[in-house]
Amino acid sequence: MDFPFVKEAISQLFSKSSCAMYPAVPSEAAPHYRGRIVYHPDRCIACGMCERVCAGGAISRTIEKTEEGDRVTLSFNLGSCTFCSHCADFCTHKAIELTGDYHMVATREEDLIVTGSFIKKPPVKKAAPAAGQAKPAEAAPACAVAPREDGKPVSDPSRCVYCTLCAKKCPAGAIEVDRANKTWKLDDEKCVGCGTCAEACPKKCILM
Amino acid sequence: MFKKLIAESTAKSPWLFHINAGSCNGCDIELVSVLTPRYDAERLGFKLTGTPRHADIVVVTGPVTKQSLPRVLRAISQVPEPRCIVTMGSCPQSGNVFKGSYSVAGPLSKYVHVDVDVAGCAPKPEAVIDGLALATKILKEKREQM
Amino acid sequence: MSTVLTALQYLGYILIFPGFLFCFLAGMLLCGIDRKVVAKMQKRVGPPILQPFYDFFKLLGKETIVPAAASKVVFLAAPLVGFAALVVIQLFIPVFTFTVFSSVADVIVILYLLLIPAMAAILGGAASGSPYAGVGLSREMVTIISCELPLVLILLAVGKTVGSFLGTGITFSLTDIAAYQAANGSLITKASMIPAAIAMLLVIPGETGNHPFDAAEAETEICEGLLAEYSGAPLAVYKLTHAVKMLTLTSLFVALFLGGIGTGIMLVDGIILFLLCVVLTILTISLVHAVTARLKIEQIFKYYWTVVSGLALISLVLAWYGL
Repeated sequence: MDFPFVKEAISQLFSKSSCAMYPAVPSEAAPHYRGRIVYHPDRCIACGMCERVCAGGAISRTIEKTEEGDRVTLSFNLGSCTFCSHCADFCTHKAIELTGDYHMVATREEDLIVTGSFIKKPPVKKAAPAAGQAKPAEAAPACAVAPREDGKPVSDPSRCVYCTLCAKKCPAGAIEVDRANKTWKLDDEKCVGCGTCAEACPKKCILM
Repeated sequence: MFKKLIAESTAKSPWLFHINAGSCNGCDIELVSVLTPRYDAERLGFKLTGTPRHADIVVVTGPVTKQSLPRVLRAISQVPEPRCIVTMGSCPQSGNVFKGSYSVAGPLSKYVHVDVDVAGCAPKPEAVIDGLALATKILKEKREQM
Repeated sequence: MSTVLTALQYLGYILIFPGFLFCFLAGMLLCGIDRKVVAKMQKRVGPPILQPFYDFFKLLGKETIVPAAASKVVFLAAPLVGFAALVVIQLFIPVFTFTVFSSVADVIVILYLLLIPAMAAILGGAASGSPYAGVGLSREMVTIISCELPLVLILLAVGKTVGSFLGTGITFSLTDIAAYQAANGSLITKASMIPAAIAMLLVIPGETGNHPFDAAEAETEICEGLLAEYSGAPLAVYKLTHAVKMLTLTSLFVALFLGGIGTGIMLVDGIILFLLCVVLTILTISLVHAVTARLKIEQIFKYYWTVVSGLALISLVLAWYGL
């Protein structure tokens, strides 16, 4: 019977411990740590992409009609979240952020829910989406169509191959593509102007 | 005075019992890392026990599967009072990505009173220490009310 | 009048100095120091030295659950019996030259009394009706059997050395051993006693059921074994018994091998004894705990009956031929 670590143990007895004295000495999370979700309702356009990609079903969106417009409320249940950052990655307007805050301890489940709400003005009036986010497309040379003023997508039929990717990606289901008849139709009522279709287009023929 | 001594001691010597209720092992490893030399929860009096009879704090990980539910409840009911139940990770709080599965019976709060929720998937060891410290405070309050 | 005084004096011995209070405080402190030193050796900060006291008082405040399958009286009385036996041993072990009870054969009394805490734990575990305790008690029995042989050989070797000096064959009186050491210096300075002293150092962690010989109370594999069903105050007494066992065995080592350095003043002697116990605990229990992993039960048995018994036997043979 031999004890290979006796020397090590005795030398440790007189050296400093390697403990991070956590509650006494605060500790920062590593860079790019994905902790508590912060939601910026002012940037959100309520496209619902985050809700669609969330694996844990942690995000819920409620819309109630008010006089000023639709009141959209998004709530993120941290007690159901995997902190995979899919919602933040898919958000076209960077309205969701995962911070380095890991202190998510609560005695009640309600304390673990992050919510935010904003009022979405009806599209009949002036364009609702946050200004500055939906940049006008940098004038494509062979563009047959002009970008729309209300920030909604428009397809260039000369380049479009009717692959239906935009329709598949659209969180609101506003795009309808018929491959046989080569038509591209946008439902203005449903469209929220998130720009997912323009990003997904392999031919880059959708203008925002 | 003796009662106060016991309450003080309760706050300084919380023993843990860990129940894996169908967890993916992520939280289990983070809980063990709390006891490693890096975080050393033993300096706060925490100790991992092998039987629920010795425990003060029950840490549950995993989404509480149908197979594990009766065993979890039996283990929790064997913990002597005062006791404190901590759910670790998102799974026992809501089911997380296992939500809606045919084999998941959770969340745990449907069956027992949960004192502390530690969110995260998996939580950082610091967050676990935070949660256990909060549980210790609740434990002391429960002891004082006894 | 004098009988009342003597009675009071003995009550003081039993309740305060080598008895209950000293056992409680010194044992708990030893346990705390052990935990702290192990943590330090593993590069941790470790619990405060008073941690065993916190654990003890916390357990007193917990609910005591008696399993439905348990035999209530045995289950609750076993820890107390074990603890009482240890306090009695402490009264028999001389603090250098001072002994509360002395008889011609107190070594044999101690040997039997040392079995009682383990037997009480076995009875309590068996009474709890838990299968984990069943596995634990069979392991505890094997551990006792493995430790008992080297311990007997060590005591024989010491008894023979002192006895051949006194001309009485083998002496079984710790008082004689203490008196011999007070006159001729500690037994550890004799070359023939060094193997026995090493064997005794190796017996200490096994008798106390400490790491790596804690197969009977393996919390990770058999749910704390014998203690699986204990909670609250009986568990507190078990933890106390475990702590006091460290004190008992280390002070037995001091009485056997390091005697004869006392001053004769009871308070100073008590402090010296405690300090020696601390050193021995760190050496035999903490260091071994920090560097080893738990042994399997057959490894424990084999180790004690070959290596440790061999060392003790060498000493006995040397002592027999008067070296």
